[in-house]
Amino acid sequence: MRRVLRRRAVGRYALVVSVAAIFSLPVAWLLITSLKKQSEYAASPFVLFPAIPQWVNYQLAITMADFPKYGTNSLVLSSAYTILVVITSALVGFGFARHRGPGRDRLFLFVIATMMLPGLVLFVPQFVMFARLDLTNSYWPWVLWGLSASPYHIFLFRQFFAGFPRELEDAAEVDGAGPLRVFLQIFVPNAGPAIAASAIFAFLWVWGDYLYPILLLSDQNTTLAVKLAKALVDPRGNPLQTITMAGTVLYVLPLVIVFFAAQRYIVRGVVTTGLKG
Amino acid sequence: MSAAASTIAGPSARAVAWRRREVRRAFTFYAFLSPWLLGFALLTAVPLAVALLMSLTNYDGFNLDRASFVGLDNYARALMDPDAHHALQRTVILMAIVVPIGVAVQLGLALLLDQRLRFSGLFRTIFYLPHIIPVVGAAWVWKLFTDPNGGLLNALIGVFRPDTYVRWLVEYPTAVLAVLVIWAAAGGGMVIFLAGLQGIPAEYREAAMIDGANPWQVTRFITLPLLSPVIFFQLVVGVIATLQILQQPILLTPGITGISPGTVPQRDNYVFVGHAYTAIFVNHNFGYGAALLWILFALVLALTLVLFRTSRRWVFYGVEQ
Amino acid sequence: MSADTKPTLTAPRGIELRTTRRRLLAGAGAIAAAAAVVPLAIACQQQPATKKSGPAKVVVMTDSHEFGEDDRKALQDTAKVEIEIVEADLTRLYAMWAAGNPPDIFRVQAAGVPQYISRRMLKDLQQYFASSKLLRPDDLAPANNFYKSDGKTVGAGDLYGMVKDWSPDFTLYAYKKAFADAGVAVPSDAQPLTYDELAALAKRVNKKQGGKRTYWGFVHSNNDQWIDRTAMNMLAEKNQTLYSADFSKLVIAANPEALRVVRYLFDLAKDDIQQNPLDPSPNWMGADFNEGQIAILQYGFWYSAMAESDKTKGNVVFLPAPTWAGVRRDPTMTATGWVISSQTKDPDAAWAVFEQYMGGKPAQDRAKSGWGVPGLKSLYPLMPQETPFQKQVQKVLQAELKQSEFTLAFNPYIGEETFSTSWKKHLEPALKGSITFDKFVTNIEADVNAAIADGKRIAGN
Repeated sequence: MRRVLRRRAVGRYALVVSVAAIFSLPVAWLLITSLKKQSEYAASPFVLFPAIPQWVNYQLAITMADFPKYGTNSLVLSSAYTILVVITSALVGFGFARHRGPGRDRLFLFVIATMMLPGLVLFVPQFVMFARLDLTNSYWPWVLWGLSASPYHIFLFRQFFAGFPRELEDAAEVDGAGPLRVFLQIFVPNAGPAIAASAIFAFLWVWGDYLYPILLLSDQNTTLAVKLAKALVDPRGNPLQTITMAGTVLYVLPLVIVFFAAQRYIVRGVVTTGLKG
Repeated sequence: MSAAASTIAGPSARAVAWRRREVRRAFTFYAFLSPWLLGFALLTAVPLAVALLMSLTNYDGFNLDRASFVGLDNYARALMDPDAHHALQRTVILMAIVVPIGVAVQLGLALLLDQRLRFSGLFRTIFYLPHIIPVVGAAWVWKLFTDPNGGLLNALIGVFRPDTYVRWLVEYPTAVLAVLVIWAAAGGGMVIFLAGLQGIPAEYREAAMIDGANPWQVTRFITLPLLSPVIFFQLVVGVIATLQILQQPILLTPGITGISPGTVPQRDNYVFVGHAYTAIFVNHNFGYGAALLWILFALVLALTLVLFRTSRRWVFYGVEQ
Repeated sequence: MSADTKPTLTAPRGIELRTTRRRLLAGAGAIAAAAAVVPLAIACQQQPATKKSGPAKVVVMTDSHEFGEDDRKALQDTAKVEIEIVEADLTRLYAMWAAGNPPDIFRVQAAGVPQYISRRMLKDLQQYFASSKLLRPDDLAPANNFYKSDGKTVGAGDLYGMVKDWSPDFTLYAYKKAFADAGVAVPSDAQPLTYDELAALAKRVNKKQGGKRTYWGFVHSNNDQWIDRTAMNMLAEKNQTLYSADFSKLVIAANPEALRVVRYLFDLAKDDIQQNPLDPSPNWMGADFNEGQIAILQYGFWYSAMAESDKTKGNVVFLPAPTWAGVRRDPTMTATGWVISSQTKDPDAAWAVFEQYMGGKPAQDRAKSGWGVPGLKSLYPLMPQETPFQKQVQKVLQAELKQSEFTLAFNPYIGEETFSTSWKKHLEPALKGSITFDKFVTNIEADVNAAIADGKRIAGN
């Protein structure tokens, strides 16, 4: 039996390694390209490795896109939105999952429907609204969006919470706990994976989005995403790809670190949603 | 007689208590929903209405005061537009390829990495990397990767079959697009499924194994059904997202270096939102572009409703829906 | 599975509940604190709202690499106004116009000016130019004609903006190595070729080995983005244009000369001399030339600042613009510049910024960089002339500048890329053979004429 298990484990391991290798080829390519000179970049015949690694590309990326300043902007905006949207979406998703009220199903479908709203066509009306409220060139739109919960995250939490057995609330209700207490004391502690996943996605969305910052922010308080898209160019406006790749690597690095730390939380060893055994 | 007397006299105490509880339950429900309800009413409803209104005009993007009401003309035009038909077709085909395969890949990865292997955290991070790379960067990398003249893909294939010169982006543009989308989304879905797998108590699986089930049977009869709400989530989200794809086809167009309005993707990658984008930003026909997007919305909604309808058969929730 | 290996959910009374209540309060406190800190963090990030009556504020929408933080600060001091930069983006421009608060200054290209004028979005600047010391009307380079309008046509009349820099855009760059490989002599830089000669030459230097591309023969029009401008310049030699006299229709099939020009350009793609959908490159043509993959490239003077890469150094020759019918014409087809919006609240402040950018130190810096011909003739001598290549370029450029007085007649009813997107859309099936050349032409005409009809309705004609 143990030999079979070990063989299975080894086989599985081999599978993981090979899939990972294939998966990360393009990423490896990104890394290698970031160290090339512009002339080696699209050289033909094909150049696999740079002759001399151009670490200067990273330095240039940092200065040209002013990483410290715009990175901080991105960090503040992403964190603010993430904290708010996870809290509110968990509340709303929980409401949909574990509570009943008139029109619940139709409302839920409506929430999902708002995910399908064509973003492109909402840009101009949204801008006009924020402009009338004098909220452009500020981070307020994101704060407001965070406070309003997001359909995607609502859906996520709802599905997650809906999977818990009914007995959970029944037991708590017997103890006389109110709805908010049930939410905070029973469901939230067991929602670590969903919270972690939702937080990662929310953070990633703001960190990577340049459509809304370009629309709503000024050059001073815009995000790193915008700068990366626009700043790493030669005086004529043509992108300097190797430096852009270096910038992309740096831009992605914080997310990688955050994810690596958070993913353990998503796959916790012992989590229970069952009742006392 | 006393029973009749009590009914004539009015609702009983139990009925009143029941009503009160129902009201309280509804109140609680709406209280939980309040952030979204308020947010929607204040932030989304008005732009939504305006966007809908714009589709009924010939607004060009610049002069709001010069726009005039044209009723359903834009919608009628969209129905007759051969480019719109073509775009819709290509978009639906893309969705039909990407969503099933994509979700399967995400699920597979999650199942693979749910274990405690050595360095599993590292592997999960590797698989998640494509998801965090910005769209522009990811598309660029794939463009280079598949370049016939200097790309790694042809070089690798050339190891087995020398002189391989496949022009991937010319002959198989949709395939490259599909692979790019699946690759970039795989890590994200993996994370969702990993989170979902945590909700399945280990005892269920262990009990089944003790009863003699092999891992495949455990997966099929225990894990997957219990994971079905999350699978459903990924399918719906995948459908919605894929039908609205805009940037990737543009970025995979040869000869360009960024997103510019005038980029025309390969004919096979001419997606629906791209068509609307061209109408708005190249032809300055905002009203028409808006109408196209609202049509897309209606289609996505219809498709999602179908998904919800069929979900009753195979999605298993812990709480009755 | 014993009960004490995992936390139970039924909370026993007494101690447990108390701790959980404390934890609950702590948790709620943390959340409240976070929710309070967040807006504070936001506020710290914001610029203080300057609603005070201080210096005037000018909002400029442009590319931040053309007008960055340092330039902004310098100009704020010189012009004595407060400047805010907004990254150039068409969505944002639309949105700002819709909100009734467009940027005071925004960046445009010549092809967009007629439509902006027809929509009454630009401010007439003639008075400002007339009284300006830095921007004298007689000192303006010919490319500025694209910003002149008399209300009906573009090319003459009042000034509505100015070019920030420009190039005669039809010049050629030849890669000597490609010619050497084909055993063909490089053309002289003293005489222009005809387009027919150019095509023949390109066919000889065009090279493919197996399926692999070694050299593209003749690549032009910025990967077809400016195909209509190239066509218009060729037609203008015979005093013709792509459109009917009142711009209400695109006319190709019914105009033999236009048809000939379009056929010429189409054949370049069909004969695989130009980068096309069936043999594309992942990069833009400028990058490919730098990689030594293009034998003849058509780009303006600005490209000379980057034409010599490691690979092509010493092997590039700058050649005069070719002719279609023997008439030399080499205007610019982009003419990027600035305009002031008709809705600006403080035109004087906007002009102050505009004037400095176009005639002050920023303009001199641009001239010295060699990335374009200055918008003011008096700044011409500042263009770089040190290396042998730069000298050769300047020699040819001087001759070309004499042919650059012309403008191209852009259609005021359609967007800048309406024609080219239609061209690109139908080119792929045409090259694959799914549609004939005649269908290709009629498809483009249909697309563009529909757009013209929409535009006319908006313009109110």
